[in-house]
Order: sequence, then C-alpha cells, then structure tokens
Amino acid sequence: MQQALQKLASLSAPPPPIIEARGRTRLPPPRCFSTAADRRRRFANRELSLSSWMATSFERSNGAKKGAEAARDQHMESDGGPDPRLAKIASSIRVIPDFPKPGIMFQDITTLLLDPEAFKDTIDLFVERYREKNISVVAGVEARGFIFGPPIALAIGAKFVPMRKPNKLPGEVISEEYSLEYGTDTMEMHVGAVQPGDRALVVDDLIATGGTLCAAIKLLERVGANVVECACMIELPELKGRDRLGNKPLFVLVSSDI
Amino acid sequence: MLAAENGRDPRLKAISDAIRVVPHFPKPGIMFHDITTLLLDHKAFKDTVDLFVERYRDMGISIVVGIEARGFIFGPSIALGIGAKFVPLRKPGKLPGRVISESYELEYGTDQLEMHVGAVQPGERTIIIDDLVATGGTLSAAIRLLERFQAEVVECACVVGSPVVQGECELKEKPLFVLVEPHR
Repeated sequence: MQQALQKLASLSAPPPPIIEARGRTRLPPPRCFSTAADRRRRFANRELSLSSWMATSFERSNGAKKGAEAARDQHMESDGGPDPRLAKIASSIRVIPDFPKPGIMFQDITTLLLDPEAFKDTIDLFVERYREKNISVVAGVEARGFIFGPPIALAIGAKFVPMRKPNKLPGEVISEEYSLEYGTDTMEMHVGAVQPGDRALVVDDLIATGGTLCAAIKLLERVGANVVECACMIELPELKGRDRLGNKPLFVLVSSDI
Repeated sequence: MLAAENGRDPRLKAISDAIRVVPHFPKPGIMFHDITTLLLDHKAFKDTVDLFVERYRDMGISIVVGIEARGFIFGPSIALGIGAKFVPLRKPGKLPGRVISESYELEYGTDQLEMHVGAVQPGERTIIIDDLVATGGTLSAAIRLLERFQAEVVECACVVGSPVVQGECELKEKPLFVLVEPHR
C-alpha cells in the first residue's frame, strides 16, 4: 500500500494553469469546510483509512429494507466479503491534487485504462450487474462516459447513446441546461435515439454534485425512457450527488472521501 | 486499405448502411458522417468492433490510442478485445497530469492534441483509432505525439474514410485501415 501511495504521489502533477472546468467537476466548497490542507493530510494518511478506499458499492434502496438484508445490498459483497477485483480497480485510479483548480483532488481514471485487467474487471462488474436487467439503452456522458459506456452496452446487448456538449451532435437534438458552480452548461441528446419505454442506464466515470447525471436523467425522461439506474466508477460522497438524484438509484464501484 | 479489399465481408454493408449522413454540418457543404446511428444498431456496432479486433489481435499491439471524443467510443472496446492498454488523446486542458502537446492545422487556425506523459513507453506497438479520417490532420498530430515517445505506430484505423487520404496532411506514410468509404 505504501508503494502504491508513493507511486501515486510521484505521478501527481504540479498545479496546472487554472482552466475552465467541466461543469460536473466545478464543485462548491464542501459544507464541512475541509480545507485543501485537510484533504492533503487525509490523502497522505490514506493507508490508515483503507476502508474509505476499499471497494464498496452502494445501492440506494427505494423502499425500506431492513437490517442484514439492507447491509448486504449496500455493499457489493458475496458471502465471502468485498469483490476481490475492486481493490485493484481502486488502487489503479490516481489522484491529481489541485486540478482543475486549487482544492480539487481530481480522480484520474486514465491510469486504470493502462491496466487491461483492471479495466476489463471494471466493465465486467457493471455487465454482471446489468445483463439480466433488460436494459435497452446505455447513455454515456461526454467524454469519459464514452470510455465506459460502449463496452457495457456491447456486452449487455443495448444501444449506446452519447450525451454531448452543445453543437457536437449533428442531427436534431433536445437540450437540458444544468447548473455549474458559476453559470450553467447544456447537455444534448439526439431526437429519436431513445424511444418511450426504453429501459436506460446512465454511465459516467464519476459522480460529484450530481448535476450532470441529473441533466442526463431529465433528457431521457423527457422522451419517455425509464432510467433504471445511474452507474459510475467513483463517488465523492461529501458532495452529496446521490441525494441530488432523488429517487434514482446510483451504483458505484469506489467511494472516495478525499 | 479498405476492409472490402480482402473480399467483401458481409458485415460491412450493414455497418455502412447504419451510418447516416447529415448535410451541411457543421457548415454548408460538409456532408457529416454521423456514427451515432451505428451505435443504435447493436449488431452493427458489435461487428464494427469485431472487425478491428480480428485485424489487430495477433499483431502484438500493446496500446490502442483513441482521439477525443468519438475515438473514445470505439477505442476502448477494441483495446479490451485485444488485451491492450487504452490511451486517450484529448483537447487541451482536459488531462489532469503532465502532458505533451502537438498542434495541427484546421481550415482556419490551429488546434492541439495532448497525451499524458508516461502513458506510452518507447518501443510499444500502437494503433490509433478515430471514427472518421478526412484530411488526416488529427491523425498526423496523434502520430507525432506517439513518435515523440518512440512508440511505433503500426496503423491508423477509422470506421469511415477514403483509403487514400487526399489533402495536405498525409499520415506520414503510416498505413491507414478503414472499414467503409464515405457515402456518395
């Protein structure tokens, strides 16, 4: 673990120039006001709080589920404990401090993509979950949702529908505006890509505040699709994106509290 | 080369038919080849990936490079199919770590493509994936990025394109493989 931490630390870049962030990653300061220094300290001490990095996946229950059944549902465990593939997946994600701006600890999945076994396991974990759920559409959010969504769609027999920034899709589109930290952004989907009654899965690499996923859900529901679940590799629970999704279930592989 | 040159694979017609042309996008005179309709046809999309996997699985390719954003739709599935790493090439400011950049010409002005430092090692055999090749400017920039790290670009591969790229940007004499030609 120490080796993994050192490896991750050495990959961390010097602070890049401040750029216009993607809407989804432009985050308000967390309510608990953990400072950048707090987050760095927690980052350095990650090996002491391995449970916060260890693979857990959370499934929001729609109704009340009780006791042991609820506990088992919330964590992706077989009777033998957490899925053994998850530790490798979690450890292959690198964190870049202060990107895209000071205070943000950016979860970089490109290092996962350099590990074919971990990348395959990631896809397999989603496919195993969704293959029997009669999903007809996988919607992937530009651009990192394009990396994970299509392999999942191909494996479960679903269509893939890209959700894009404005003016990228060439045909007739419907648009949904969503809030950023400062200002708004817009997400678009092709008219006719999704039919009423389609059972849809929304895929992105990470959920932060949930704004992007909410926009995607709205677009799909506007054309009469049933959004079965949102699926992300990583959740930042401090930012309460899960709450913002309302009654839509969220499934994640890794939860990170830095 | 064009996939059909090796005998007409029966899968290619459905792939070509599944790609729609949107006239005058992004501007008058351009016949835009829209692959999103291919992605709605599960069999045709799967066949597209299979055709690339069948070609590259025994070529010792260790890296599949995909160009943002539509190269991300095809590249990862090909990488998974042949057991290779996937490396995204992105517009400026998107990759969070240390990057190298390469400029390329647009009709008016220039744009840039970036790659993470450390993603590619010297001597690695790579293929570059994009949905479509037109002038070859983007692919040429991608080749330059990979060669700066002494990687070997074995081939460029696109779903749509003319097998012989016209225009000012040539692909540095790298082989180009396309599945289907642009609709007339």
